[in-house]
Amino acid sequence: MARDDLELMQGTLDLMVLKALTWGPLHGYAVAGWVARATDADLQIEEGALYTALHRMEKRGWLESEWGLSENNRKAKYYQLTAVGRRQLRTQADRWTRYAKAVFRLLETPQGA
Amino acid sequence: MERGSRFRRLFRLERGAADVDHDIGAELDFHFAMAVDELTARGMTAAEARREAERRFGSVDRTREELVALDRARLGSERRARWGATVAQDLRYAARGLRRKPGFTVAVMLTLGLGIGANATMFGIVDRLLFRPPAYLPNPAEVNRVYFSRFLRGEERNISNTSYRRYQDIRAGATAFAEIAGYWRADLAIGVGEEARETSVATVSPEFWRIFDAPPARGRFFRPDEDRLPAAAPVTVLGYEYWQSALGGRDVIGSRLHIGRRDYTVIGIAPKGFHALWLTPSAAYIPLAAGGAEISDGGMDFATEYGNQWMEILVRRKPGVSAEAASAELTRLYRSSYAAQRLAQPQLESVEKVRAHALATPVQRERGPNQTTVAKVAVWLIGVSLIVLVIACANVGNLLLARALGRRREIAVRLALGVSRRRLLGQLFLESMLLAALGGVAGLVFAEWGGSLIRATLLPDAAWTDAVFDRRVLAFTALAALAAGLLAGIAPVLQARRADVAAALKAGAREGTYQRSRLRMGLLVIQCALSVVLLVGAALFVRSFRNVHQLRLGFDPDRLLYVATESRGEALTDEQMGLLKERLLDGARRLPGVEQASRGVTVPFQRSVDVSLYVPGIDSVDRLGIFTQQAVSPGYFETMGTRILRGRPIRATDRQGAPLVMVVSASMARTLWPGGEAIGQCVKVGSDTMPCAEVVGVAEDVKRESLTDDAGLLYYLSMAQYPPGVGGLFVRTRGLAAAQAESVRRGLQALMPGAAYVNVIPMDDIVGPNMRSWQLGATMFSAFGILALLVAAVGLYSVIAYNVSQRTHELGVRVALGARTHDILRLVLTDAMRLAVVAVVLGTAAVILAGRWVEPLLFGTSARDPLILAVIGVGLLAIAGIASFIPAIRASRVDPAVALTAD
Repeated sequence: MARDDLELMQGTLDLMVLKALTWGPLHGYAVAGWVARATDADLQIEEGALYTALHRMEKRGWLESEWGLSENNRKAKYYQLTAVGRRQLRTQADRWTRYAKAVFRLLETPQGA
Repeated sequence: MERGSRFRRLFRLERGAADVDHDIGAELDFHFAMAVDELTARGMTAAEARREAERRFGSVDRTREELVALDRARLGSERRARWGATVAQDLRYAARGLRRKPGFTVAVMLTLGLGIGANATMFGIVDRLLFRPPAYLPNPAEVNRVYFSRFLRGEERNISNTSYRRYQDIRAGATAFAEIAGYWRADLAIGVGEEARETSVATVSPEFWRIFDAPPARGRFFRPDEDRLPAAAPVTVLGYEYWQSALGGRDVIGSRLHIGRRDYTVIGIAPKGFHALWLTPSAAYIPLAAGGAEISDGGMDFATEYGNQWMEILVRRKPGVSAEAASAELTRLYRSSYAAQRLAQPQLESVEKVRAHALATPVQRERGPNQTTVAKVAVWLIGVSLIVLVIACANVGNLLLARALGRRREIAVRLALGVSRRRLLGQLFLESMLLAALGGVAGLVFAEWGGSLIRATLLPDAAWTDAVFDRRVLAFTALAALAAGLLAGIAPVLQARRADVAAALKAGAREGTYQRSRLRMGLLVIQCALSVVLLVGAALFVRSFRNVHQLRLGFDPDRLLYVATESRGEALTDEQMGLLKERLLDGARRLPGVEQASRGVTVPFQRSVDVSLYVPGIDSVDRLGIFTQQAVSPGYFETMGTRILRGRPIRATDRQGAPLVMVVSASMARTLWPGGEAIGQCVKVGSDTMPCAEVVGVAEDVKRESLTDDAGLLYYLSMAQYPPGVGGLFVRTRGLAAAQAESVRRGLQALMPGAAYVNVIPMDDIVGPNMRSWQLGATMFSAFGILALLVAAVGLYSVIAYNVSQRTHELGVRVALGARTHDILRLVLTDAMRLAVVAVVLGTAAVILAGRWVEPLLFGTSARDPLILAVIGVGLLAIAGIASFIPAIRASRVDPAVALTAD
């Protein structure tokens, strides 16, 4: 994977993970499930990469984690957004929206205009 | 806290590396368990579900590795952040504590400041003399001064001076060097007429510039083709400082400047701060061959004669050539050059006999073979200032200890509340580091004061143009402060480690038993003992300095001026020169404020001449020592203040054509005719075939070369029977010579023809530098010694006072039981005196052991002088008595009622 692709990929992953955590603390498996459902499995994302993203963002201080009990009484690690993480989500979402709009405009512009 | 290990996870958030692996394993296990559950619920078999979950996950191993790496990094940065926060908190705590006790803080700051300041000052000086390479010199380790060594009259002599001839021989054969340069520096007059002033002018070969990496501030340096024999191009490069101060920094490139005997064209300005190899800046730089022509009156003998040793050699070794290899090659070249010289001068002793060899020595002159006494004393003073620092640290350690003891309950409470011992020690330590940092700042202030004082009064030779606080001194000060913090911090930490929580908590503020702290006593003894060492050192140097001052030189330097003439291109024959000097002599005698004047050829401590002597009946006079020659006009001995012991002085009747006469020094008379009468003896000067000069008088010995060991072998000839025109004038003034120098100069300058001028130097200025090492030692040892004594006295006072306050209860009981005032006084004083006696004994022992090394630096004083030892010992005991008397008095006034009911 080229370096630019990797960065793009990481940025996308981060955004998805941050978005998944907007509604409250989740464990990694739930994040993976949310991402798969939200994208209708259109994006083929390895779940391992999601975990890497979770830990990377925890290191950066965007997330914090805590051990708790899952719905079926298993010990699970729950992730939660920090204030920094929320701010990060906002800026990244803005950037993505602007970027996507620009790309759409480009695609919709008729040829020769 | 071993017992808590099972519960650690409950209370501590901090997690180690093993936890990281465990947590990641658990997280992934949970993930797969959930996935498998979900997939089997949809109808897959367990094995299928597992495979599907792993497919969706991607590479488990790689992910696991990534996660471990990420978590470990996170853990590390979290730990660092926590540590930083702890330190910041402790620092605030320490700062608060120090602010609460400003008296204590200031005392510690000053004590450490004095210790650190003393070290920074001495470091600055020793660094300049011994370690710091010249500015603009890249790879100074590759650059060497060259010394030539010969064995003469039973001793090895290392001389850096050599001849142009030798320089060229070495250049021709050398392979080990990237550059070989010649250099020399002398005072030459710059300017014309009234404005002419003698200033340091450096003479350097073009290669000299290439050894340095100093781009000229303006213009260029001279090229090889401008420094060729027979005549160098009259070009000069000015020193930046001279350019700024004398010429106002205006554009002077291409202008002409009269230096020495001729006009030079200014072609460049050396960069700012470039002093080449010297401690002071040079006004101008001229080509080597031009400088040589200056000394040989425009002739060529500077370049042709091996005996004309006027210059020195600087080399840069090729990369990879060691100094030893360089010395070996230089030795080989020196020997073949010496052999060539011997062909022309067969009277020279053989290479083997003089054991000729050459040395490539460090570029710092004081690290070469001829280290000056000033540098040796300065190195000793580094040791002394370190002792002062140790004393200061011991004292501060003691103060901190007292403080820690006073805070025992506080510390015990904190320990009981669960503050870790490590944290507590860290806090104590941080506190001493903070104090050391404050002390370092105070030290820099002291160094600024002391440094400029010492520089100005004791080492005026060096140009201390750059700031006292250069980077090296700052780094050293920081290091010294760090060391001081560590040293001072150790004692309270040691004490705190032993702190017994339970005992301290049980004991109220009133400590039922008073504990003598061995550590504190030990520190105090060390301080006092070191003070004894320093004070003895001070006394030894003060005595040496006094001895040197009272030394009979054989002349009175404080009332003497030496007048040198410089003809500066005025074409005068020897006869005309002789007449000019006679006119100057008459003129000088007529000046008000002048008592007597006389001509003389050589000058003590400055210029000497020695030629071979032949005495009938003595085999080889040269073997007996070096006999210095002086030629004088009548009145010389009254002028100098040198006494004639027997016979008569040189008189006006000893004129040309009259029988040759000579006056010899007492030592010379003793050496040549032991037990016999010198007067009437015959000495042939210069060669065996010369007519006899009859000894007509014996004069007292005169110090000529060295204050400490001067053979004193000197003889006087009559000026009238000497080649005419040479030498200068000695003038005896009525008051102090230095005050008359300018009026004498003006009076005599009026008699000089054309551009020629006179230079008047007080004899004290010539002799003074020879006394400087003792002056330096006496001043610095005294300053440091008194400093040390002060610090030790304060330390003694504080320890005794503290002990008394700790014993209030016990003393109260004693008073209640009927102890009288003097019993209590004796009790307290005995404690202090016991300590002081131990310290004096230890200090004296140290002095006796160290004496062997310091003795060579002293003058007429034994390092084990019993009187000095006794006086200092008794003095320290007295100081100890005084320091402990105040707390003792306080102890004797303890009111038992108050002491027993307190707390």
